Amino acid sequence: MTLQPLDRTRRSFIWRELVAAGARFAEVNGTATAMDFGNPAAEAETARRMGLVDLSPLPRTGYKGRGALDWLRSQGVQVPEENNRALVQPDGSVACRLAPSELLLLGPLDGAPGLVDELDAAWPGPDAGTGAYRVPRPDTNLWFALTGSDADAMFSKICGVDLRTSHFPNLGIAQTQVARLSGIVVRADLGATPVFHLLADCASAGYMLAVLKDAMDEFGGGLVGLAALRELARS
Amino acid sequence: MKLINCPLNGPRNAQEFVCAGEVKLMPDPNACSDTEWTDYVFMENNTAGVVREWWCHVPTAFWFIAERDTVTDTFIRTYPASEVFGARVDFAAPAAKGGGA
Repeated sequence: MTLQPLDRTRRSFIWRELVAAGARFAEVNGTATAMDFGNPAAEAETARRMGLVDLSPLPRTGYKGRGALDWLRSQGVQVPEENNRALVQPDGSVACRLAPSELLLLGPLDGAPGLVDELDAAWPGPDAGTGAYRVPRPDTNLWFALTGSDADAMFSKICGVDLRTSHFPNLGIAQTQVARLSGIVVRADLGATPVFHLLADCASAGYMLAVLKDAMDEFGGGLVGLAALRELARS
Repeated sequence: MKLINCPLNGPRNAQEFVCAGEVKLMPDPNACSDTEWTDYVFMENNTAGVVREWWCHVPTAFWFIAERDTVTDTFIRTYPASEVFGARVDFAAPAAKGGGA
C-alpha cells in the first residue's frame, strides 16, 4: 500500500483533486506530496512547456513589522535590497521582500528542514521587542508553481500584470490579482525553464486549480508532480 | 482598465484598490468632545476638488495616501502613509467615568 494523503495529519489543500488525477505520493515535510502522475519522463517534458506543480506541502514562512527585516538579517537571512525582489538563499530557499516591512520565505524544493524551520524556531515571539511579527503561511496560502515556456502566456489570460519573461525579470515579484483573487507571483527560474510561484488564499485552492487547468488547456499544460520540478532544477 | 499607481507595487488595475475616505487628523480621544469624535469618525467633507484620501492596495494590504481631484477623478500623487504619519500612536485607556457596578 503506497502512501495516501489521509495517512498523514497535514494534507495539501487540493489532495482530493490530486488523488482523482492519479497522483503517486511520497512523504515530504510530513505530508503526502504528489511526486508524479504515473509518467515522470513525460511530466518533465510537460513541465518545460506548461506544467502546474502543487507545492502546498512544502515549508514556508513570513515575517512583517517595522523590525522584521533587521531581525531576519540578524538571523543570517540575505534580504533583497529592493521591494518586490527575491533572493535565493544558500540552502535553496527563496527570500521574497514584499515591502520595507515584510519578507516571505519559500522553502527549498527538497522540503528538508532549513532556514524556514530555523527562523520559526528562533523567533522569540511578538513581545520580545524585535518589532517583527510572524505571518504563518502554510495554513493560509496555497502554493502552486507554474512552469514552462508558455507559463507567461497563460498568465496573460488571468493576470493584469505583464509577466512576459522578456519584461518581468527572474526573481521579480508581483503582488496583484490572479484570477480575481489576491495573490503573490514570484518568478524563480529553474535552469533554463521559467517558473512562477503563485501564493493565494488556500480556501480558494479548488477554484484556483480549476481556473489554472482551464487556462493551461490551450497550451497542452496540466498537473505534474514534484519530481518533474526537481528534474528541471537538475537540467 | 483604469490604473492607480501604488507607491509599493507600481501601476495596478483600479479593481485592486479600495478607498477609505479622507485623511483627517485624529483629535485626542480622551480630551475631545463627543461631537468632535463623531465628526472625526463619521463625517466627510465631500469636497469638490483636490482631496487627500486613504487608499489600500488589497493584495498587499498596503495603505497609502492619494491626492485626487474629485471633479475629474484623476490621481495627482500617491505616497506612503509614512510621509505623514511617522510614529505609532498608543492609546491610553480612559479613566473610568463612574456608573457601572
